[in-house]
Amino acid sequence: MKPSNFPSIFSITEDEIDINELVDQITLTSTGAAAIFTGMVRGETSREGKAQGINYAPHETTYLEYEAYKPMAEEKMRQVADEIRARWDTIEGIAIIQRIGKLYPRTPTVLIACTASHRDTGVFEAARYGIDRLKEIVPVWKKEFMPSGEEWIEGEYIPKKGE
Amino acid sequence: MNKVNVLFFATFRTRAGRSSMEIELKCDTTVGELKNLLVAQIPALEASLHHTLVSINREFAFDEDPVPEGAEIALFPPVSGG
Repeated sequence: MKPSNFPSIFSITEDEIDINELVDQITLTSTGAAAIFTGMVRGETSREGKAQGINYAPHETTYLEYEAYKPMAEEKMRQVADEIRARWDTIEGIAIIQRIGKLYPRTPTVLIACTASHRDTGVFEAARYGIDRLKEIVPVWKKEFMPSGEEWIEGEYIPKKGE
Repeated sequence: MNKVNVLFFATFRTRAGRSSMEIELKCDTTVGELKNLLVAQIPALEASLHHTLVSINREFAFDEDPVPEGAEIALFPPVSGG
């Protein structure tokens, strides 16, 4: 099968992420491995971190509200998938899903899944690359609601020409 | 004149108090000049402007890039999805 026939799924959605259904859609008869990354809303942040260049202390999150520039986001998801395929020609299917709206702790918000024939094909690295790139170039933002107030979370990555 | 639609997202939508606006530009206007025109109309945007991403027709754009006729422009902060 030529790479162009491999399934790619991109979606910005307000619906629940159905991991089994998505993995099923990118599983071919030649598939023997899937690497699935999913991120969820963290209700308790215990380690110190950095956002907008400002250090934040451990804190609680009541919920996150996500918004997207949907048409551009789905185009950039396609670009991320193209970049994955350019780096790992072993990858069969790719699913990239971002859920938006008001999402509470423990809720999956994002899914990147890659499939391949075997686990030693770079499939783990491909999924890792996918989530890292999504967080750089896919136009989605989140606002954090905490017991102490609310705050837009901004990233730090500045895309370069052609990205 | 070149009439374009400007979309605002996240902090930019909050600061602008709206999610989009139409603006008329001279034909050779660049992204950098457009940003200055927007700040002149919506001073609240200035605070975010040093850290702005701009897209033209859903591709990242930069200060020196010309704004094509009828373009869909968007202004937003560095992304924070996932």
